Order: sequence, then structure tokens, then C-alpha cells
Amino acid sequence: MKGLKFRGRAIRPWRFALQIGALIFLLGGAFGLRSFGEYPALRSIFLPNASCRYLNTAPTYCFYYTLQDGLTAGAATIWVEVIIVLLIVTLLILLLGRVWCSWLCPFGLVQELIMDLRNFLKIPPLRLKWSHLQILDRVKYALLFFTVLISISIGISELGLASHATSWSLPFCQVCPAKGFFTIAQQVVGLESSSTRLPLMAWIMLSIFLVVSFPIKMFWCRVCPMGAYMSLLSKKSYLWLEKDPDKCTKCRICLRVCPVDHDRVFEEMEGLDVGGRDCTLCGKCIEMCPEDGCLSLSAGSRRLVSSRKPDLGRSDASTGSRDRSRK
Amino acid sequence: MVTKTGSEGVSVPNPRSSRYLRDREGYFSDEQKERTFKESRKQSQNLRNRLETRPVRARTLSYFDDVMAFGGVRITELAEFRQGGGKVVGTLCVMVPAELVGAAGARAVRMCSGHYECVHPANELLGDAGLCPLVKSTLGAKMVSSNPLMDNLDMVVGPATCDGKMKLAEMLEDWVPVVMLNVPRVKVGDTTSRLWLEEMKYLKHRLEDLTGRPVKRKNLAREIDLWNRVQVIWGQLSSMRSGPRPPISGQDAMLVAQASQLDDPHRWSKKVGELVGELSEMSARGEFAGEADAARVLLAGSPVMFPNFKVPSIVEESGALIVHDELCSGQRLLSDPVMLDGSSMEEMLVALAERYFFPCTCPCFSPNDERILRLKENIKNLHVEGVVFHTLRGCHLNNLEATKIELELRDMGVPFMKVESEYDEGDIEQVRTRVEAFVEMIKARRHFNRNSQR
Repeated sequence: MKGLKFRGRAIRPWRFALQIGALIFLLGGAFGLRSFGEYPALRSIFLPNASCRYLNTAPTYCFYYTLQDGLTAGAATIWVEVIIVLLIVTLLILLLGRVWCSWLCPFGLVQELIMDLRNFLKIPPLRLKWSHLQILDRVKYALLFFTVLISISIGISELGLASHATSWSLPFCQVCPAKGFFTIAQQVVGLESSSTRLPLMAWIMLSIFLVVSFPIKMFWCRVCPMGAYMSLLSKKSYLWLEKDPDKCTKCRICLRVCPVDHDRVFEEMEGLDVGGRDCTLCGKCIEMCPEDGCLSLSAGSRRLVSSRKPDLGRSDASTGSRDRSRK
Repeated sequence: MVTKTGSEGVSVPNPRSSRYLRDREGYFSDEQKERTFKESRKQSQNLRNRLETRPVRARTLSYFDDVMAFGGVRITELAEFRQGGGKVVGTLCVMVPAELVGAAGARAVRMCSGHYECVHPANELLGDAGLCPLVKSTLGAKMVSSNPLMDNLDMVVGPATCDGKMKLAEMLEDWVPVVMLNVPRVKVGDTTSRLWLEEMKYLKHRLEDLTGRPVKRKNLAREIDLWNRVQVIWGQLSSMRSGPRPPISGQDAMLVAQASQLDDPHRWSKKVGELVGELSEMSARGEFAGEADAARVLLAGSPVMFPNFKVPSIVEESGALIVHDELCSGQRLLSDPVMLDGSSMEEMLVALAERYFFPCTCPCFSPNDERILRLKENIKNLHVEGVVFHTLRGCHLNNLEATKIELELRDMGVPFMKVESEYDEGDIEQVRTRVEAFVEMIKARRHFNRNSQR
């Protein structure tokens, strides 16, 4: 339908391309690049949200895996497995904010595809009340706190919890639905032997995830403890969501279309930085904002892409030059 | 919820309403009715003459004159549309989504009246002389059925924004079925959005009852697209006003904007497209709608409904040109597009509800800081030299905000003048004297600024 294409800049296609690219990189084995995941140099890099331990051929694991693993292992390896990894990850977050979630994370892609399916079926999303959003926000930080607490407790040998190490190691991975999802996905494709049994917890979490993700936009992103860690740090990053409050008409489109209900983009009218916290810099608000140059994705002081007034047939080239001339 | 009346419209009195006005129908003599009719027609005609005799005026504008004419072609068209089984819905406010009305197969017309003579019947019966004249005029026009538009309504949609509009909608129920919408007036938080969405759903339900046709997803999407296009075309016309020498006066632009609320949007868009073409030709020839050194003025405040163009007329006759306005009878009618995220009915309704609620800078909302922000931004972008704030007597909300805005603009160093007016020709010369002094001051200031820069 014509009316539904009445929008400004297209960011989603670029993002989708990168997400697919990241998926191919992570699933290198599926494309005949089996050795891809076996470079030791790549193995020691841990990215925020970029990959999963349960993908057999993944070249890198998510940093949360190594964080839990390192903490469980105790003081001996803490420098190599925890501190350095955390420093690198923190630096990446300070540089790029939560870009990982919406541009690279394969699980983000899965949820977006579920969202597309829902849109295709013309089923409206469930609108969460602000009180529910607050609860989800707390769940996120609680998951971060308790997984770290459990891992540390096992790691401290004086506590004598080492006997529980097998059942309580990697506490987050045990509840993360990505485990079940990727294992089953690989079994379906034939990359994983079908004899691998998923624990009951993984089944439960996967079912909860699939059921809840359908009506709630980007459900897992709202509770992901890795996201919580990034939220703590991404208040100010080199890549940021910029808003020119003078141009804002307070129409609330940005908040309505936001997949994670990041209300700062709508409510902030003083400062320029409206990202941070839950914002994954997916650019949906920039796509939909009907004001010229109101919202932009910026790197440092440079605006990479800005919102624009919808028009009946204005080409991308002409607006690009206009944006440049304004500076 | 259950509809209160049948959809037959005018002839069915509402048994549950107070009927305190309808019972007094015989109160007005035929003579008074006729006089009100004639005076209203004369006022429209006078305004048309005044606009037509401006030295620089695009020829295409005569089409919009015809649309807005008192009992003109458009009214005949609407009457014919009704005879063919169509339904016409009168709206009392800029917050009623025309898309929804259109998707139900009905036609929306803005029914706020600007006729001076219609104030008197309302004054005689309502017993509140201090009430907003716009409300009195609209009600008066209906009471003595002096406006042909008012006789061609099947339903009225009235959001309860200010006290006047709310009671107006309530009293109109004596003649026409009214859908009152509960406007959440504190514009903070998520609850307001939910409440307004429920009101939209109620409106949809009432419209479906009226036309007997369900609002289909496809139709709503089509209407949203149509009005988005209307807005883009209006944006082209507005941008003609932002240049250093606008070829169109503020009054004419307001006329075109208000015509969009009465006319068929397809035809309106086509004509505005033609108008934009003609205006750019005029621009190329160097034609300028104002006097040679006209002061660039922004008109703000209470709605200026056709044909109550008293204040803009005076401003533009006193050596100024209105380059922008922030009225709900002008620029704000067509200012924000509906951006759709999903294509389900629910999501479309949410998009529609939020477009008509959140960017609206009506002073009935609190907090309303966006209004000042928009105003400042427009002053900066359009090189506005002074702001004329028009308030109708009895419009408390605008009166109160005027004070706030004045203080803000003083900090910015922008001259500001508040003009309080009544639906009456008595104060024209008085207002003119003040406006002329204001415009003189702006021009003198310009001179002073230039000298001080040297």
C-alpha cells in the first residue's frame, strides 16, 4: 500500500544487511568456512552480544559467557578472563554505545523477524504500561546482579561452593533462551547432532521467549543482563543519538515507534544526547521523525544520518547535499 | 457505549438532553433570522471584496474564495452529497481526525463560525456575555439557522478542550447528535495517550453507526495517505511564505488552510498545487504581497475563523505582512503527518490519536512549553520582526499564555503585542491605531538596529 511507505530515511536496510553479515560471520561453518571459528586469535576476542557459545562454529563468544566463566574459575585466571575482557568491552561500549544489540546481535535479528511476522499478520503489539516497563528494567539489573553474584560465590573457594560448580556454572547461559534457540536451529540445519539433549530449563526459557516476544516488541532486549551492563555505561558514547530540541514538535512518533520504549528520546528537551539507557541506536526514530534534522545518529560532532520531512518524491541525493550545506 | 440518538440528524430532538434551547426556538422572529442571514452573507462578501482588491493576489485564489463563500457552491455540493445518502460531520476543533471521518465514508467540515451577527442570538439566550465569541457565534448560527453549512450536518464532533467548546458541544446536542470527546488536558505520561486512544475508538464506533459502514483498515490507510499528501502540498505553500518576499498574504494563506477543512481534499490539493505554481511564477517576477518595506509579523493566539479576519486584515493593511501563524485555524491545521509503523487497525488508530493529540499546542493543555518552543523556532527561521497575539475576549487560556509568551519573547528581544478582540466591528479603528503604532515601531527599530550595527 502506498500510504505505508510514506517515510523519511531508510536505516533498516543497512542495519539488516549488517545483521545478516554478522550472522554469516558467526555461522561461518554453515557456509563452508569451518576453520573460520578455529582461529585462536579470534577466539580470545569477546564482543558484547555479538555471538553465542552454543553456536558451534562461532568465532567469538559473547563477553558475558567469559565473564561468568572467569568469575567461576576463581582468582587464578581473573586477570585474563575477566578484567581484560571487561576493559575491552567497556571501551567498545564507550565507543559505540549499544549498537551491538540492534546492528549485530543475532538474537536481536531473531526478535526483529518475529516482529516483522507480527506486522505481516496485522497483529498490533502489546503496549506496555510505564509501571511494567519499570519492572522489566529492574529484572534486567537483577539478572546482572545475581548472575555475577552466583559466579563470584562459586569462584571464592573459601565459601566451599565448588561442589555446586557443575550445576550452577554459567547461571545466565542456563536461563538464556539463545541457548535453546541456537541449539535447535543447528540441529534443524544439521550442524549439531540430534542426540544433544537440551536441559528442561532451556526448553522452558525458549518457550517463554517465543510466546512473549510475539506480542512484546524486543522482549529479550529489555531484560538482557548484557544490555543492563551496557545501559550502565552507554550514557555517553562516541556514537550517540542526537536531538535538536528546537526542532522537536513533541509529536511522540519517536517514542511510539521505539522498539524498546526508550522514553528519553521523546521527553528530553534540554540536552542534545537522548540515547543511553535502553537505546540501541537502531535508528527507527530517525527513520520516522517527520522534522528536518531533529533526530540524528552522530559520531562525535558529526551527524551521520538525520531525520527529514517526508515528501512526495524527494531523492536521497538531494537531501544529502542539503544536510551538508546546513553545517 | 450506546448512541443517544438516531442517525436521522437535524429533525430528531434528543429526548435526553435539556432542550432548554430548542424549546425557545420560537423566541427568534423570522425578521431576526433573516437579518442574521443577510448580515452574515454581507460580512463574507465584504471580506472577499477586501481580499480581492489587494494589489498583488494570485488568480487561483478565487477558487478558494468560492469554496469559502457563504452558502456557496461547496454547500450545495454537500447538500447534494447528503441527498445521495452521504453523511456530513461537523467538527468543532482541530483535534478531530479527518482521516477517521473520511474512512467511515463521511465528510468532515469545520463548523466554527466567524460571523459577527450570529453572536447576538446566543447572547440573548445564554446569559453569559463574557463567553468566547467564537462559541457564541457558532451556537447562534445554529440557533437561528443562519448559516447554510449548519443545516447540512448529520453529526457534530466536539472535543471538550476549553469550557466554551465543551458547553457549545453540549448545547448543540439539541439539534444534532453530538460526539463529545474527553480531551486529557495534562499532557504528561502514557495514560493521556491511552485515554485519547479510547476516545478515538469511541469516535470510530459512532462514525460507523452514523454511516452504517465499518471503518476498514484499507480505507483508513488510504485516508491517512491522502491527508499526508495534503500536508506535503500545504508545506509547499507554506515554504512560499518563508522567503524574503512572500507572494501570498497571511490572510490568503489562512483562507486556503481553512478551505481544506470544507473542500474535497483531492480537489483542494490539485488547486493548491496550481496555486503554488502560480506563486512561484509571481515570485520569479519579483511580486511581493506586502508593501515595499513590510514588517514581517507572526500571528499567534486564538483562532481566526473565516470571515472574522479582522485582526489579520488590520495587520496587513497597516504595512505589515503575516509570514506565519500558529493558529488552529491556520498553519496548525495541516502541520504534522501521521507516520505509520505497523499496518494493523490498532496501530493506525494509535498513530492517528497521537498525531492529533501530542503535537497540538492548544493552550488548553498543560504543560504547553512546546508552544513557546515552536514560536521561537519560527521567529528565528522566518526572520519574524514582531508577534501579534490575537485573543478573543473570553478566551482565558490564550490570554493567560499571552503573558507567559510575552515574557519569553522579551528575553529574545522580539516585539510583542496582544490584541483582544470581540466579534464586532466597533473596535476596528481602535485596534488599527494600536497595530499601526506597533508596525511603525518595528520599522523604526529596524532602522535603529541597522544604525547600531554600523
